Amino acid sequence: MSFDFDAGKYAVYLWPAFAISAAAFAWMIADSLLTTRRWKREAERLQAELDEAGE
Amino acid sequence: MDARHTFDFLTNPERFMAFSRWAAPWLGALSALAGIAGLVMTFLVPEDYQQGDTVRMMFIHIPAASLAIFIYVCLGAASFLALVFRQALADLAAQACAPIGAAYTALALITGSLWGKPMWGAWWVWDARLTSVLVLLLFYLGYMALRGALEDEQKAARAAAILALVGLINLPIVKFSVEWWNTLHQGSSTFMAKDGDGLPAIYAWPAALMGLAYLGGFGALWLVRIRGLVWRRKARSLAMKLAEGAR
Repeated sequence: MSFDFDAGKYAVYLWPAFAISAAAFAWMIADSLLTTRRWKREAERLQAELDEAGE
Repeated sequence: MDARHTFDFLTNPERFMAFSRWAAPWLGALSALAGIAGLVMTFLVPEDYQQGDTVRMMFIHIPAASLAIFIYVCLGAASFLALVFRQALADLAAQACAPIGAAYTALALITGSLWGKPMWGAWWVWDARLTSVLVLLLFYLGYMALRGALEDEQKAARAAAILALVGLINLPIVKFSVEWWNTLHQGSSTFMAKDGDGLPAIYAWPAALMGLAYLGGFGALWLVRIRGLVWRRKARSLAMKLAEGAR
């Protein structure tokens, strides 16, 4: 059994489908991680500000 | 452990954050491993005698389409819990899964279209299966638009939850459209296929592995996005406290 990357006349349909799927996952992972990190940092910054104001 | 507290990690934000902190990376790793193995097998299996190399499209199209339905079930269940039992975490869970569901549904439509052109000779047909999946995408987008359109977050959450519950009606239509109507789209050929219509064993492994990868990917992304929304809610509450203190 060996790898078959030659899709012949169907390559024009097959590779865009895999490329779009990979791009969608890359976007979902990046967006989820970056948005979560941003809100975490914002909450931590505000908590520090609140602690400082309370002292 | 007290049975009443067994599911605390799903309702108590602090316990959820502790649970999701280790569960999300594990699910992500499981998804990545299954995805790598699935992709290797995708290009190892022989081409189909009828569909040629386009058969490999199946390993990314079917998981996306199956998950598009499954994620909507999660959206509906979370919306129900938020609406009826006023579970704040369930509302965040509903909000978090809508964009992932929309992405999976869009992927199912795009990969289906790229598979349909060489097999059916058309990018799109107004077939019952395709149309009902398009309606599913519109429900996801409508849910997200409704949440973003209303300024009052509680009103937005309530309206969007009602829309999500209405959208559940579409799920049996998506699932059974190929049986209820005479469609160009084929019937189920995976694990729920009728006798003789099932996948050959050689295609079942990459299909199962890619299904696991898409499922694990959804689980990990869902947990990460819920965590983001919990942090956002905390940030907003802290900002209000600071504003009150400054008066």
